[in-house]
Amino acid sequence: MTQQKNISFTLNGEKRSFTIAPDEKLVKLLRRSGCLGVKEGCDEGTCGACTVLIDGKAALSCITYAFLADGRDVRTIESLGTFEKPHRLQTALVEEGAVQCGYCIPGMILSAEALMKEIPEPTDEDIRVHMDGNFCRCTGYEKIWTAVRRVAAERAGKGVANA
Amino acid sequence: MSISDFRTPHRLDEALSTIKQLGPSALVVAGGTSFIFAPVNEDRVAVDINGAGLDGIRRENGGFRVGAATRLSALQKHHEAGWVLDRVAIHLASQQLRNMSTLGGNIARIFPWSDFAVALQALGATMVIAENGERQVGADEYFSSQPARLFKNGGLLTAVIVPAVGGGAGFGYRKQTQASFGFSLMTVAACMELEGRTVKSVRVAAGAGIPFPSRLKAVEEAVKGQAVKEGVFADAAARGLAGLKFKSNAGMSEEYIANLARVLVGDALTEAWQSAKGGAA
Repeated sequence: MTQQKNISFTLNGEKRSFTIAPDEKLVKLLRRSGCLGVKEGCDEGTCGACTVLIDGKAALSCITYAFLADGRDVRTIESLGTFEKPHRLQTALVEEGAVQCGYCIPGMILSAEALMKEIPEPTDEDIRVHMDGNFCRCTGYEKIWTAVRRVAAERAGKGVANA
Repeated sequence: MSISDFRTPHRLDEALSTIKQLGPSALVVAGGTSFIFAPVNEDRVAVDINGAGLDGIRRENGGFRVGAATRLSALQKHHEAGWVLDRVAIHLASQQLRNMSTLGGNIARIFPWSDFAVALQALGATMVIAENGERQVGADEYFSSQPARLFKNGGLLTAVIVPAVGGGAGFGYRKQTQASFGFSLMTVAACMELEGRTVKSVRVAAGAGIPFPSRLKAVEEAVKGQAVKEGVFADAAARGLAGLKFKSNAGMSEEYIANLARVLVGDALTEAWQSAKGGAA
């Protein structure tokens, strides 16, 4: 008989407790906890729409058992920007015309954010290696990567921030 | 799916006693990425070994001891003389999956994506299994069939001892996928030691395009003792692979995969030779 169990982890900077089923996946837990920016796409660890940051590293919440998040630091797109105060990656994506349906974008942004935290000035190869697990089925990738390059350059003091 | 409960041991001895106590219902979980393609069909109790101190890469006796729960991204981002698994890890799946999946998970059960089963056979790595103490199992024995047989009495893969490559030895690795994050159609690794221009010793292994990842001994025999000259590795690949049975995969015929194997084996040998003579792995 499956029992409900309690876990706790830091979600978007706030320590929280959750009651979960042992086989519940993190994406389900996050969405029912109000983080609707976490998207469920392929549900088999391929498309990257469900990407979240666990201890700062990009991970696929659709195939992560929720119990594996116990005691960790989990961040979703909700921790990066809001509609009123968007994150620079979000405004850069808009400026580059990189967004159509937007379903992949939360995952894209979180992968890009993890990349730039680790490698402040990523090469195109770094971007490919760190973001090829995020699929976009609308625009192709060039404008998305242009936005990432632009934000990285700004952060490195090599571009002009205009948002 | 039926993970009915989970345990989170905080030390290795606690993990081992938990696994022993649960018996066949224990399901060891670290990254947890395999279960999407290998569904659990009966009630199992997950044993989360992430807190058991089984991660990290450290130097040991001239090689490296890699904890079984070390993430593939840690292998990818480790750069040190003699370390070659970064070249394998970077080609496996996507960054998110490399951040989640572990070395132990990649080889505790052999799947089509078990690229490390190939690299570790070429390197002659040693697997460390904890069970009433610690025993070490060489790559040839470990990968002779599904490793589950080695864990059935409650054993746990705790580490992999990876030889350092250098000093006249070199490593080559080739993998072909349809897309960068895709499963291998063919994976090949080669480790070669030179004496002057002659191949003193060589280990070659392949996986994905053949029924089970294994050494390519006929290729090794065709290469060993050869003086290296133009075409020697391509010829050795063609001769050594002639008797091997290949699997069609992802819409590609056996003939195509066989040809792919010949190209990749030749290229991996050439890369191993170049790095051996260049002095760097």
